[in-house]
Amino acid sequence: MTEKMHPIAPNPPRKALLLHRQMQRVWSDLPGWRGAVCSVNHSTIGLRFMATSFLFFAIGGVLAMLIRAQLATRDGAFLDTQLYNQIFTMHGSIMMFLFAIPMLEGLSMWLLPKILGSRDMAFPRLGALGYWCYLFGGLIILSSLLFGVAPDGGWFMYVPLSGKTYTPGINADVWLLGVTFVEISAVAAAVEIIVTILRLRAAGMALTRMPLMGWYMLGTAAMMLVGFPPLILGSILLELERAFDWPFFDILRGGDPLLWQHLFWLFGHPEVYIIFLPAAGVLSTIIPVFARTRIMGYGAIVAAIVGLVFLSFGLWVHHMFTVGIPHMALAFFSAASALVAVPTSVQIFAWIGTMWAGRVELRLPMLHVIGFFVTFVMGGLTGVMVAMVPFNWQAHDTHFVVAHLHYVLVGGFVFPMMAGITYWMPMISGRFRVRALGEAAFWLIFLGFHGTFFVMHLTGLLGMPRRIDRYPDNPEWEWLNLVSSIGGMVMSVGFALFVLDIAMQWLFGRRSHRNPWKANTLDWAMALPAPPYNFSSLPSPGRDDATAILPLARGEGLLPGAPRPRREVLVTDAGTGRPDHVAVVPGNTALPIWTAAALGSFFLLMLAGLYVVTPLAIAAILWAGWRWGGFMGSRADAPDIPVAPGLSLPEHWQVRQTLAYSGTVTLLVADGTLYASLLFGVAFLTVIAPNWPAPDSGLGLGALLTAGAALLAMALATLAARLAETWRATPSGMGAALAGVLAAGLALVLLGGLAMLLDDPRRHARDALRAVLLGYAVFHAVVALMLGLRSLCDARQGRTSHQRRGAAPVWQLFQAFWLATSALSLGVVALQEIG
Amino acid sequence: MLWVARMLAGPMLWGALFSAVYGLHGLGCALDWPDRATPFGPLHPGGMILLWLVGLGLHGLLIALNRAGGSDRQNLLVRSGNWIGAVASAVTLLPVIVTSSCG
Amino acid sequence: MLIGSGLITALVLTLAGLAIWRGPRPSDERRWIIWWGLGFSMSVLAVLLAFALWTGERMIARDDGALQVQAEAQQWGWRFTQPGPGGPVVTEGVLYVPAGQPFDIVLTSRDVIHSFWVPQLGGKMDAIPGHRNVHRLMADAPGTHEGLCAEFCGIGHAAMRFEVVVYDPADPPPFVSAESLP
Repeated sequence: MTEKMHPIAPNPPRKALLLHRQMQRVWSDLPGWRGAVCSVNHSTIGLRFMATSFLFFAIGGVLAMLIRAQLATRDGAFLDTQLYNQIFTMHGSIMMFLFAIPMLEGLSMWLLPKILGSRDMAFPRLGALGYWCYLFGGLIILSSLLFGVAPDGGWFMYVPLSGKTYTPGINADVWLLGVTFVEISAVAAAVEIIVTILRLRAAGMALTRMPLMGWYMLGTAAMMLVGFPPLILGSILLELERAFDWPFFDILRGGDPLLWQHLFWLFGHPEVYIIFLPAAGVLSTIIPVFARTRIMGYGAIVAAIVGLVFLSFGLWVHHMFTVGIPHMALAFFSAASALVAVPTSVQIFAWIGTMWAGRVELRLPMLHVIGFFVTFVMGGLTGVMVAMVPFNWQAHDTHFVVAHLHYVLVGGFVFPMMAGITYWMPMISGRFRVRALGEAAFWLIFLGFHGTFFVMHLTGLLGMPRRIDRYPDNPEWEWLNLVSSIGGMVMSVGFALFVLDIAMQWLFGRRSHRNPWKANTLDWAMALPAPPYNFSSLPSPGRDDATAILPLARGEGLLPGAPRPRREVLVTDAGTGRPDHVAVVPGNTALPIWTAAALGSFFLLMLAGLYVVTPLAIAAILWAGWRWGGFMGSRADAPDIPVAPGLSLPEHWQVRQTLAYSGTVTLLVADGTLYASLLFGVAFLTVIAPNWPAPDSGLGLGALLTAGAALLAMALATLAARLAETWRATPSGMGAALAGVLAAGLALVLLGGLAMLLDDPRRHARDALRAVLLGYAVFHAVVALMLGLRSLCDARQGRTSHQRRGAAPVWQLFQAFWLATSALSLGVVALQEIG
Repeated sequence: MLWVARMLAGPMLWGALFSAVYGLHGLGCALDWPDRATPFGPLHPGGMILLWLVGLGLHGLLIALNRAGGSDRQNLLVRSGNWIGAVASAVTLLPVIVTSSCG
Repeated sequence: MLIGSGLITALVLTLAGLAIWRGPRPSDERRWIIWWGLGFSMSVLAVLLAFALWTGERMIARDDGALQVQAEAQQWGWRFTQPGPGGPVVTEGVLYVPAGQPFDIVLTSRDVIHSFWVPQLGGKMDAIPGHRNVHRLMADAPGTHEGLCAEFCGIGHAAMRFEVVVYDPADPPPFVSAESLP
């Protein structure tokens, strides 16, 4: 595989303004309120994500100030304990789930197509759906605070405290359902980011030379894909226990509270690096710009990213050092926690080396970079300290840990994000900033932060535990807490100034000229503020840096303008960046918000305990899901689209390796992780939990035969899906699709029959887990059936031909996945019955 | 894209080995294996050490079989990936020979 | 460890500062990545890890006939059982242990997860329903120490305190003894 591509001849230059108008007609959001509801464009959605997350950051900040006001004196009578517990739980949950994750999703959605040289993300509607899920879920969580029923079990929601016995109210359900709803957007974003980075890069931009931001986000998204499913599974299990009394965490019936901790931290630790990697990507992007040099050690940084992505999944138990796990197991995770500091250190020294080689200009973004260095290095070192088992036993659950995690998260995320926002603001607003305000904001935040959290290390070492609301017998902690509280207020003023600075820049800033920082990445190869389509013509091999701005605007690049009134992007080969085909991506539509509303109604009904009515919501979700597929077919074979002189490429309906296909494969990775986590749960409870073995099961030959018949039907449906594609150009194709749908339907009915034969899931954790395994199969039955019906429709309506395959390839993927996981589930149950 | 798979092979092997040893450790402690002896020494630590050594051998094989094929940067990344996996396995599972198993 | 961390922080920040405030100079990738990024960090971590494993290994509870006391946590208080001359003695909120000899504390919980912590005696350990955790501690000299619940456990978490009375083994309070529970 060579790095160099054959040059592609340029298109003839045209008038940039005419091209701009043509593109604007196709790519703009709708005017007025319809734009607010129907927009799917990556710039709009990305900015919305960032703005909304900043709003939640402000709310989380206000909650933090309430906490600091309460702790400023030892007999704080400002809040009662119940409210205090809700407030610190909400502070943590909001900052993690409603600020940090959405913020990085927004940044990557807004930035990636620009820096990689494309016009949109791979799945614009999915991005919009993610946004609405985030907004609705966030509002559900937030409104609980207004009604005084906010979650109050701490942001990691340990059972049994968060179980039905000790939290009988709706509080914990708000957290479980709300966060899961929001996490739909995280998984959606992960799929979208991965496919965008792998398949929408500029022509000829091989993986080995894409901007480091691409590598960082690829690593982040891969971690989100594998990191979130354990949390989602844990939340589902806990909600099932709370709602239907299925005992996954109840020790009397074979459950174990430690299962929750494993699932939560299996997500929770990678989460820290999910947050850190995009921030490090920002640093690797802007440090070379202000040092006026190239980044040092591109290869070493990519290797460090790979190391971090993997190692961060070997750390989760270090949050559980005090639960009574044997020392050898602790030592594994302690060693991994120490080792993970190495790739981080490689990056830090690569940045220092970069600055060493260049002449650093101390513009405002660089101030925030300095803020990062000071804060993050200290946070990293205290991190290594708490990774050591003996020290951890002392510091765990004290304010030392609180100080440590704020150093890591604010140092490793908030400062770099502020650097990034001040760096990209000219591109967002098209204006320069107003003088001095930003510097004042930085210093207030910086001094306020260290004032708050530096002394907190000492507070923790003096023995102050987390999550207490008053400490009447410990006057020695009081002055430290008072200092922290004052620091916190200073920091708040700083953040307010930061927002004011952004607003002033937007409203009163001087118009910025192009590429104000003289950066060389593609994101600056466009007019400011960035137009919705990014590039009138797409970068060609070897011309993918900021100097290409004029040729691109004049249409000399690939796929110039919008001669066909639809949104076209160039899809390239994942490794080399060789142009592969032209994908048409959807334009403005209200479908995402309707789908999110349907999903939201399901979550709200669950929250209200109206389980009988949920089938209505499920029907609405299925209806919305069906509508999504309508875009995925075309009724006629189209001629290849001219991309450049001598280069014409097919439309995406006429190729097999579409974006949707890549996206499905990616989604199935997340799905498979969820399933693997479930199997981990089965193994963990079987081996570790008390009150096993379970009582004798009532499963007999009947159940075995039903399950076997269901598997057979699934296998037939899988085969039929394959034939439906093979025979797509002939009438037999429709027959195969019909047979596949019937077989899948039969399998679904048999699974339903199997549900009747299962033991009562409330009896023992084993029976509850079996019910979940069955539920997992039923869920996939419904998805496979929908895809089968879509393929059948394609065949009936003439949307397939020798070249057009319709939904059949994606159907096959799901069908095979359903078959494989179901067979595995049957094997697990059979093993339990024998063993 | 083959080079990406080769780059990820080392870390993936670490992941598999780490899970396997951790699983074996949990299983062994739950089933009271440390008390059982075999002619080659105690069963539980013995099994884990054996697994670890086999894994390290596989890492070594991965490194030894690595040959330059792509561009310089691809080769660097593949080599780094191999070494990241090997060092991670060596360090994170080192406790099997230095700490007591179920205490 | 704190001092070491401080030194490393100062070192890294000095390097960063020099890089920022002094003009461009030749910068060797090999030196920064291999020597500093890999070599420096790995040697520090190796020393630290070896020390931590060694200390941790010495801290864990063993079956060596050490004195055993029991603590049962519930929302929101502690019940301790310690050996007495006439059989086990149960106390609420106060634990009696002898000075100068290691003892094991067996932790269980009746409801949610709690965590036993006496900052002046050493590390903490969780009390988890369905699990029985053993934690080894030692108090050097007679005296009274304050203990608390370190894992958030609901409304009464902040007030879930207890007291550890460390007595001279030669002169135990009349109702307890420094012998192990039968």
